[in-house]
Amino acid sequence: MKIDLSFNDKVALMRIEGILNSENAHILQEKLSEVLASDATFLELDLFDCRNISSTGIGKLLLFYKDFIGKGGEIEVVRSSNNIYELFSMLKLNQLFTVNLG
Amino acid sequence: MKRSAARILVVDDSPSIVTSLSKILELNGFRVDSAFNGSDALRKIHRHNYDLVICDIEMPGISGLDFLERVRREYERDLDVILMTGFLEQDYFLQAIRLGASDFIRKPVESEHIIHAIQTILEKKRSRTEFANLFSLMDNAQLNIVIDPRKFSQFGISKVFNVFFKQNLKLSQDLCNELLTCVDEMVYNAFIHGTLELTPQQRRYEHDQLQKLIEEKLQEQAIAAKRIRFSFSVNQLDNSISISVEDDGNGFDYLSWLQRVAQEPKLNLDDNGRGLSMLYHLSDRLDFDNNGRKVQITRKLAPQTVSEL
Repeated sequence: MKIDLSFNDKVALMRIEGILNSENAHILQEKLSEVLASDATFLELDLFDCRNISSTGIGKLLLFYKDFIGKGGEIEVVRSSNNIYELFSMLKLNQLFTVNLG
Repeated sequence: MKRSAARILVVDDSPSIVTSLSKILELNGFRVDSAFNGSDALRKIHRHNYDLVICDIEMPGISGLDFLERVRREYERDLDVILMTGFLEQDYFLQAIRLGASDFIRKPVESEHIIHAIQTILEKKRSRTEFANLFSLMDNAQLNIVIDPRKFSQFGISKVFNVFFKQNLKLSQDLCNELLTCVDEMVYNAFIHGTLELTPQQRRYEHDQLQKLIEEKLQEQAIAAKRIRFSFSVNQLDNSISISVEDDGNGFDYLSWLQRVAQEPKLNLDDNGRGLSMLYHLSDRLDFDNNGRKVQITRKLAPQTVSEL
């Protein structure tokens, strides 16, 4: 699993590759903390090459979401694989933020 | 047992090389697919099971070495990759060996050379799959593991099973990913809830703080004495895979949880039960036993998914 994080002014772009599971969810937590500590008010998540996310990873994302919207931030999944799109729909995460397929 | 023709993916940005190499391979009885860049090749290996990939090193965009690195990172070692290059520079060579290239072929490709290289690699691959054949020939094969929680952190269970699934079961990449997610959910739940009995607040600790707490808890005699029992079985008769995990914790009220799921078929976002909801979503059947200490998922497979080795 690999996470690339870059910043462009107020926009943070996070790209996740591979399977996000309980063994590596702390890496996501660290990257999300970086976003939270930055001036970014918009997080673009690119999950096109993300194969699956475990509940631990989802938990990290939800905790971040609560803190991020608390400081006026927004999240959008700019690209997602079929698996992730389906999972986020099942989890109703698409009611919290925009989730784009492909 | 009759072997089906090996399936090979040829990757090169030159259409003429792809065409000529594909012809050589087809004439020698192989099934061949092609891709003209690294991105297309990665998409194809995600969707299909190939026995071997032959990939050019010098390609625009994702190079052959980048491609090999991605394959090793995401697909472990089970996919053999032969690299082709017009320039056998030492740096390329060393990097490719470090990344685990199965062989090197110099361009222009000599048909005798490439066929010999392919046959050698496929023969080694067949030797590796002897154990896998056992699974395809038995009506039912089962693997039981008892995990000491103090040794839990010494191995990545998902990595272990990624290799196990890849080497012993011919599963689609999507199915493999979903089963790995189930293994991760089940074992992690058994460790965090059943064994360590962490509170929701403790589970939200930062990584270092959580690791420190886990180390402290594992020193406690009562926790160190607990075990996690993992079972994986393949049933050829009904073409299914079952995975169960049992811990020595307090269990939980699974009947109430099942009632709640029946009323709300979509997954819940609650802190408690999110992992179980994912298992419910990813499996064909979810069973509980021993007051909720044991969780089992069953996943039906497409016909011949397991035995097509």
